[in-house]
Amino acid sequence: MSDLPKSYVSEPRLNGEGTEQPAEPLVLIEMIQRLKVRDVMTSKLVTVVRASPLREVQSLMKAKRISGVPVEEGGRFLGLVTINDILRALEGGYIDETCQKHMSTKLVVLEDDMPLSFALRYFENYHYGRFPVINREQKLVGIICQRDINRALLLELANELNRLESEWVLSKATAQPYNLYVLREFPVSKYDFENAGKAANKIKQILQEKKFPPKIIRRIAVAAYELEINLCVHSDGGSLSWQISNGRVEIIATDSGPGIFDLEWACKDGNSTANEWIRSFGFGAGMGLVNVKRVADEFEIESTVDVGTRVKAVIYIDAKLKDEI
Amino acid sequence: MTILEAARKLNAEVIVEGDAVANSIRHVVASDLMSDVLLVDDEDILLLTSLASDQVLRTAHIIGAVGVIVVNGKSLPTSMVQVARDLGITLIKSDKNKFDACIAVHKALESA
Repeated sequence: MSDLPKSYVSEPRLNGEGTEQPAEPLVLIEMIQRLKVRDVMTSKLVTVVRASPLREVQSLMKAKRISGVPVEEGGRFLGLVTINDILRALEGGYIDETCQKHMSTKLVVLEDDMPLSFALRYFENYHYGRFPVINREQKLVGIICQRDINRALLLELANELNRLESEWVLSKATAQPYNLYVLREFPVSKYDFENAGKAANKIKQILQEKKFPPKIIRRIAVAAYELEINLCVHSDGGSLSWQISNGRVEIIATDSGPGIFDLEWACKDGNSTANEWIRSFGFGAGMGLVNVKRVADEFEIESTVDVGTRVKAVIYIDAKLKDEI
Repeated sequence: MTILEAARKLNAEVIVEGDAVANSIRHVVASDLMSDVLLVDDEDILLLTSLASDQVLRTAHIIGAVGVIVVNGKSLPTSMVQVARDLGITLIKSDKNKFDACIAVHKALESA
């Protein structure tokens, strides 16, 4: 797990009372996994330096209507002055002293490429009003509060609603109602083992509801699951999309890097770049792509190093079933 | 033999009763490597593993397993119990080690 940010590793797993409640709409769960902290945070920062008096922070808070001001020098994040620090300074009569002496330095921070689900869990676990956000170079790049999250989710929900409405219009317009059953895309985040596999489980459940033959369902589910796990384990993040049309199921995994150097090698039994941490989850045996090829009627893979990889698996549905539906 | 009967033979604790509790076990797979489990094409599989993670249940769901027995007395994360409920997978916990659990299941299947 050496290449993981520390906070990813130390986080407890979600329990049943977290965001995994079955009653929560899938669309919302997908959204909080797809959105990154950087998509939601405020990046126009109001900051002060260590030598700034607390009174200056108080004025900034009043003028900008904010409740926390980061202390930063040359991109280095040094601390945070919150409204509680200011209240204490007013009560204690030291409002003209500098931030250096009274700022909070024991801080919990978020990283800008974490999924929004992490941020939500932080708010639940730590009960802070805001979290500073740093990038991989440990530079302060933003601040996130619950208001930012609400705003972003409302916007995304509106977009998702528009998308679903257009999909519905598309399906209504299709002459043969079963020509296009489903067209969905699931985001998959790097190393997000908490959620990896959910898309494949969902795909299987939909196919069972539609009463597809069990053997076909098994092949589709295995291909989807292997590709989803591959995205989680090997990519920098990507998406798993699937559609049923013209009697065939098409599953496509697309990612934005790092790309596969040697495709032939990667598609052979037992070859894998997975580390021990990944193996501890039961994966990384180098059988993923081999297994997808095994269950698929058509298999395509293309990859460019530093650009990304696209894998397509197609499984034909029984012709008899096509007639029945 | 059903998975609940297997649990009784192993003196194991049934944590979640899933959708396939009435199905007879037709095959047993004992592995901690989910990649290997996904290669199995058999039906009505009982999965024995010492891996206590959500991915075990997600894998079991993908292959249509009748259920999962987590061996070695591993403590199960709360999320695992919730995933078992969500996916309708029977989840059982046994204090036996994997080898002994395999032998016990094998004997039980032979006498069934």
